[in-house]
Amino acid sequence: MAENQPLVLEKFSRIAGSLANPSVAAFKGQGGKVVGYFCAFIPEELFIAAGLLPFRMRGTGSENTERADEYFTSWNCSFPRHCFNQALLGKFDFLDGLVVGSGCDAMRYIYDNWKQSPLKTPFLHLLNSPHVSGKAMAGYYKDELARLKSALEGRFGGKVTDQKLWDAITLCNETRALQQSIYDLRKSPTPPISGSEMVAVMVAGASLPKEEYNADLKALLAELKQRPAAGKYPARLMLVGSCGDDASMCGIVEELGAVVVTDHTCFGGRMKYKGVAQTGGDPLEAIANYQIIERPFCAKMGGAHALRAGAIIAAARDFKVDGIIGQRLGCCDAWGGEFFMLRDELKDAGIPLLVIEKEYISDSEGQLATRVQAFIETVRR
Amino acid sequence: MTFGGIDLGSTTGKAVVIIDDKIILGDIVMATPKPAVTARMAMDAALKNAGIASLQSLDYIVSTGYGRLKVEFANENISEISCHAKGAFHLMPSVRTIIDIGGQDCKAIALNDKGGTLGFEMNERCAAGTGRFFQVMAKVLGCGLEGIGAAANISPTAANISNQCSVFAESEIITLVNNDVPLPDVITGINKSVASRVSSLARRAGVAEDVVISGGCYNNEGLISALGQCLGVEIMKLPLNPQFMGALGAAVFAKEKAAAKTAAK
Repeated sequence: MAENQPLVLEKFSRIAGSLANPSVAAFKGQGGKVVGYFCAFIPEELFIAAGLLPFRMRGTGSENTERADEYFTSWNCSFPRHCFNQALLGKFDFLDGLVVGSGCDAMRYIYDNWKQSPLKTPFLHLLNSPHVSGKAMAGYYKDELARLKSALEGRFGGKVTDQKLWDAITLCNETRALQQSIYDLRKSPTPPISGSEMVAVMVAGASLPKEEYNADLKALLAELKQRPAAGKYPARLMLVGSCGDDASMCGIVEELGAVVVTDHTCFGGRMKYKGVAQTGGDPLEAIANYQIIERPFCAKMGGAHALRAGAIIAAARDFKVDGIIGQRLGCCDAWGGEFFMLRDELKDAGIPLLVIEKEYISDSEGQLATRVQAFIETVRR
Repeated sequence: MTFGGIDLGSTTGKAVVIIDDKIILGDIVMATPKPAVTARMAMDAALKNAGIASLQSLDYIVSTGYGRLKVEFANENISEISCHAKGAFHLMPSVRTIIDIGGQDCKAIALNDKGGTLGFEMNERCAAGTGRFFQVMAKVLGCGLEGIGAAANISPTAANISNQCSVFAESEIITLVNNDVPLPDVITGINKSVASRVSSLARRAGVAEDVVISGGCYNNEGLISALGQCLGVEIMKLPLNPQFMGALGAAVFAKEKAAAKTAAK
């Protein structure tokens, strides 16, 4: 599908394939400040309302974890390890601040390690997040967001008003709706965009100013509607699991002739889920409700399995997938437990599941390809 | 019509030729540094045994195994999981579980009554539960793989090997040898340890009888016996050399694919 690649996709591929990018440099050149953040539950709206550029942290380009291994324990998964290694190598020196969430312990340790390392990022904040879904916890999270808001105001200046927050919510909701429109095109028997290309679309969205990205998405939608249809695929697959900023699994699937048509990953499907309810009132409460109650959270969130499983099964049916590949980073107990429960639920729903444990930087591609190929042979139409 | 199946594994290459319904096995060819060369050697052996002069006489060839993409003369490639299932079910339609213990990996495949794959499990990036584990231990014991295979009877005083990791297990075995633990006890301990690991994998895929073993480790009777005990089933013997199951499955696929292509014309 690389032929006839729309120009916007080429741009997104470049953005997703690197860390610092020209749009970030331009933003900084105009005096703007860039704040990195780690997990999907940390709301970009808050940074945008504060006049900052949010940049989703990832380990793109990392080759090893030599420097980070000094800081992390052996049971820490490879995603934060690679991200931190990139930071120690100076790849995130463009950041003016960093917000780390206490989503899971593996991610939380980045905060401690960052503090203890020689890194001199001017602003460092730990955003405590609930580990259980529900109204009470959304209230707690709202207070934590208010604490972050004050910290951002104190460090970067400027008042984050409710109106600015609602404007940011409108902007980010537009992003989610546009991303959903592109996902919807993949319901076609001949999707005009591959799973690997979609990873670049989603990753770029967390690395660019939203106004620029939304304009790019509109251009991409128009281009994709004109793109010649690819042939039919022997199997349509869905990807479920953590991270999702690395297109290697989609690449393996698509090298084997099948196609990834949707996903439930941290950079992908979970990011564009519906939108923050614009009902007026307290915008932080609306954001907290969206993040803690309404949006299917990462598997680390207790009390949210039914919502997560329901969203996965609904998407699998909506996109007419033949099977699901579950990818779990080594040491990730949250997703290990989730797949244990999903195994029976998906079986009852008649959706085949292949669970693969992998590392952030894809290793043993031959072994992975054997399993993926066998899975495709099992579920193919 | 004639069909070829080739299984280019990490340790050996195997090929099978099917002439109409007759199955002809090649030889077990040790892997060379060049997969394409191993592939040709394996296929030449099968052609020779089948009395076929030229590769071009084969109507359709399917490759499988880790080197499946390196077999330039194959018409297509299919994963070894599908091929082991196809080969074993072709020979024994009562098969519902196949445990393939190869040179560098181990897999368990669950089948339905039509030979379709219900599910499979494969070892993760680790030599535990594979032929390589036995190679390392045979070297430590100085008895060769034949020595391990020859110790078929389970020693009632088997040593306990607690480590699954090849590196740590090697150190554990060196300690046992240094403590003058008798060789049959150590070998039985190794077989029980691997059987324990493989049985967990098989249970994850789902074990239903009949259960058969494919892959090179079928030669190790002590392992097969220990595995049967772990799973609580009688492990059935395939009527042809189980090491050729991947290649046989590939050849059966070749026959089916050729028939489908003819029917589509």
